Amino acid sequence: MIIEIWTKEKYARNEEDAFIARLAHAGLKAKGARLSRLYRVDADFSRETFSKIASELLTDNITEHCSLTPGKAGLKKAYRVEVWLKDSVTDVVGESVKEAVADVAGKMPAAVRFGRAYYVACDSETKLRSAVSKTLVNEVVNKFKIEKC
Amino acid sequence: MPNPLSNFTSLKEKELLELDRTCGWSLNALELAEVQRQFRKMGRQPSRGELETIAQTWSEHCKHKTFSGPVSFKSGGKVKKYKNLFKETIVKATKTLNKKWCLSVFTDNAGIVEFGKSGKWGLAFKAETHNHPCAVEPYGGAETGVGGVIRDILGVGLGAKPVLNTDNFCFGYLDSKKKLPKNSHSPERIMRGVVEGVRDYGNRIGIPTASGGLYFDDGYLLNPLVYVGCAGLIPVDKIEKKVIAGDLIVSIGGRTGRDGIHGATFSSANIDEETSASAVQIGHAVNEKKTLDVLMRARDLNLYNAVTDCGAGGFSSAIGELGSETGARVRLEDAQLKDTRIEPWEIWVSESQERMILSVPKGKLKKLEAILKAESCDYCVLGTFPGDGRLLVTHGEEKVVDLPMAFLHGGVPNFEKKASRRKVKIHDGAPLPPAKTCGGILKEMLAHPNVCSRHSVITQYDHEVQGGTVIKPLQGKYGDGPGDATVIWPQAATLDLNDFSGFAVTHGFNPAAGKIDPYQMALHTVDEAVRNLLCVGAEISRTAILDNFCAASPRDPEVMGDLVLAAEGCHDAAMAYGAPFISGKDSFYNQAKDADGKEYPIPMSLLISATAPVEDIRKAITMNFKEAGNPLYLAGISRRGLGGSVYGDMMVAGNNYIAPLDMKAAVAMYTALLKTIKSGCVAAAHDVSQGGLAVTLAEMAFSGGFGAEIDLSAAAREKGLSALELLFGESPSRLVLEVVKGKEAEFLKLVKGQPVSEIGYVYEEPVLELRDGGERLFKEDLAALKTCWKRDLI
Repeated sequence: MIIEIWTKEKYARNEEDAFIARLAHAGLKAKGARLSRLYRVDADFSRETFSKIASELLTDNITEHCSLTPGKAGLKKAYRVEVWLKDSVTDVVGESVKEAVADVAGKMPAAVRFGRAYYVACDSETKLRSAVSKTLVNEVVNKFKIEKC
Repeated sequence: MPNPLSNFTSLKEKELLELDRTCGWSLNALELAEVQRQFRKMGRQPSRGELETIAQTWSEHCKHKTFSGPVSFKSGGKVKKYKNLFKETIVKATKTLNKKWCLSVFTDNAGIVEFGKSGKWGLAFKAETHNHPCAVEPYGGAETGVGGVIRDILGVGLGAKPVLNTDNFCFGYLDSKKKLPKNSHSPERIMRGVVEGVRDYGNRIGIPTASGGLYFDDGYLLNPLVYVGCAGLIPVDKIEKKVIAGDLIVSIGGRTGRDGIHGATFSSANIDEETSASAVQIGHAVNEKKTLDVLMRARDLNLYNAVTDCGAGGFSSAIGELGSETGARVRLEDAQLKDTRIEPWEIWVSESQERMILSVPKGKLKKLEAILKAESCDYCVLGTFPGDGRLLVTHGEEKVVDLPMAFLHGGVPNFEKKASRRKVKIHDGAPLPPAKTCGGILKEMLAHPNVCSRHSVITQYDHEVQGGTVIKPLQGKYGDGPGDATVIWPQAATLDLNDFSGFAVTHGFNPAAGKIDPYQMALHTVDEAVRNLLCVGAEISRTAILDNFCAASPRDPEVMGDLVLAAEGCHDAAMAYGAPFISGKDSFYNQAKDADGKEYPIPMSLLISATAPVEDIRKAITMNFKEAGNPLYLAGISRRGLGGSVYGDMMVAGNNYIAPLDMKAAVAMYTALLKTIKSGCVAAAHDVSQGGLAVTLAEMAFSGGFGAEIDLSAAAREKGLSALELLFGESPSRLVLEVVKGKEAEFLKLVKGQPVSEIGYVYEEPVLELRDGGERLFKEDLAALKTCWKRDLI
């Protein structure tokens, strides 16, 4: 199960502006962007338990909201970039969250991995791929995919 | 294809070198031949584990073969021979100085000096580099660099409690237009990753990152330098450690995995999915914190006889080092693993992070286990130190290593390196007239990457955790002035709130001068570090220093020549300032090719990290102007030359001369100035370094929110000094002091006979005006100057 956590739009401006500036530095003019955090929880929990983990453990309900169906950013003509650490690389955040998930769910998940999703409104996937390689991911440690929203 | 290890002793030189390349050992032909000779003598073939152990133990990283080897230095018509360059320069100075307050030097994971009034404490200090990992994966490389140097402090003596992290970075210019090779990252990307890595590890483990520096030069475009340091407090009765025959080998902290195999020897050129996993790691600060907490508790209960960290070479190096006299019997099947798909020899050499090795008496294991369990810290008992001087490593029935320790630690052959003096044409004429006004140059200089504000980096770090950062990296009325040194009151370690003893930490670094004159660079660098300590009121007669050399390929005689000259400079400076080296490290082969095949060797880079006691932290001072009406003094003689200066980098200066440093005069002046600071005469002090005198005055002014009216006509200066050299020259041994109004007479009495001149007053009006007699040099608004200076680097 992948849990996606979003900063609510009214609190996300700074984060998004900084991100668009980074893309511009890497040669891509983005018309808009949304950012989210991803937690892949490998466990045979019920949807209700995953929902509890998402809303009670991983989300700050004042500034954030969560979703168990990733991929909806509300941007037009946008691409979704999903970035994870490769499975062979230690994921410190994932390991810490794994312990906390066990406390909430009452059972240790097999693994928790932490990632990020970036929704970018732009004209060219090729240019986006180049900017992502330059500024968002290091293919030595990261794996990523780009898809149309 | 036949297994080359089955006939290793009969392989030809070419085959040996091919085998070395395939396995990534980085042994040279001479060393491979010696290994072959030893196994012929033993009458058998080596195992993979044995060759891996030898490669790790004999690596440049572990044995420092270049710096500790013989060198033949040619300069002009003369040749000087060194049997061991390191011992004949750096160590020689420390031995000759023979300071009683040095408690442990060059023998352990860090140097230790006396600390505080009680006589109970020692201060351990160490700096490391983690350059190549940061070029490949900046975030993970920086994190594991910080984790590694913290473990050096945990592994010194029976363990010191870390109280301060330091960070110094060198990157290519962030706006560099140079075309980069396919696998490399832009300097901006590297810098962002490195800063985030240092931030996350230091902040998560709860150690303040509070002293450091940033330097930009396109020589670092493909080879960033990442120096990370750590200081810690250790009880003096916990400095000695000795493995006792019969002790158990206990590994605590992280688990062992395939991540970290050959971490020190991998190449970025052939990284793929598989090799990347072993080449790069992400640090786990929380695991290291658990290890730290276990060690501190177990140390105070005397539950182990010795400890060291798992760094380069992993178990192979740590257990080999602890058991160098007793030998070691290791059973790898008992190791705690991250991944079961791992070969026995890989367990033995894996450099997985956050692991420490303890030598534990059998009778104390249960008590230690109770603490480990209470702290949720992983551990395993790997074997014993038997006392037979033999290293025997097995995995079940398989023999992984069976070697005499004497061969492992004493068998490495070394050969003489050739060194020659680099030829640099010196232009010592008058500087060319600039196209801009002095005020315009100052504004541009304040925005230069090597001068401008570092707040966008510093504020990411938690420099307040542990509550002992008395003089902070950012100072002044607005908390953003560039401090010369950090002062730490380590009460979180001593738990003594009645002892106000502290220590100051700072750095000296000037590779631009090293491109012209490596000997003077070393002198200037030590001088800058000592001067920075003086600026906060530290006891400079008790300065202890660390040397961290980074250089390009030592196969280039001119690189070796730079090293010889810088090392000689270190020796002479240490002797003159009475400042012994207590620890150090070197890193070579910092050289790479760009997309067009052009070589990018780094310039000779010497970081001097310095520490000195602060008797009473309540009396330490900062660099910003404090009060309108206070008189200002310039200490030191301004000398000719713009060599190695920021001005020389910005403009066509027509002059690259570097003024020689008069160390004897500097020490006499600093000693007098320290008396004035201790007597309360000085309200602020700031050194003249990058950017020169104009930058120093501007920084003091806008950090304090006061202007100044300056007339430099009385300033001591060398004959023929131009206005440009006076304002923007970086000749050493100079600092600006703000003296408390009403204490001028006392101040002048204490500095009598020294080149200290009154140059003006602090003014209420936020304007900086400089004159040299009748000539107005510039008049600039402070807000405008500060706007130029306060750039966001990231």
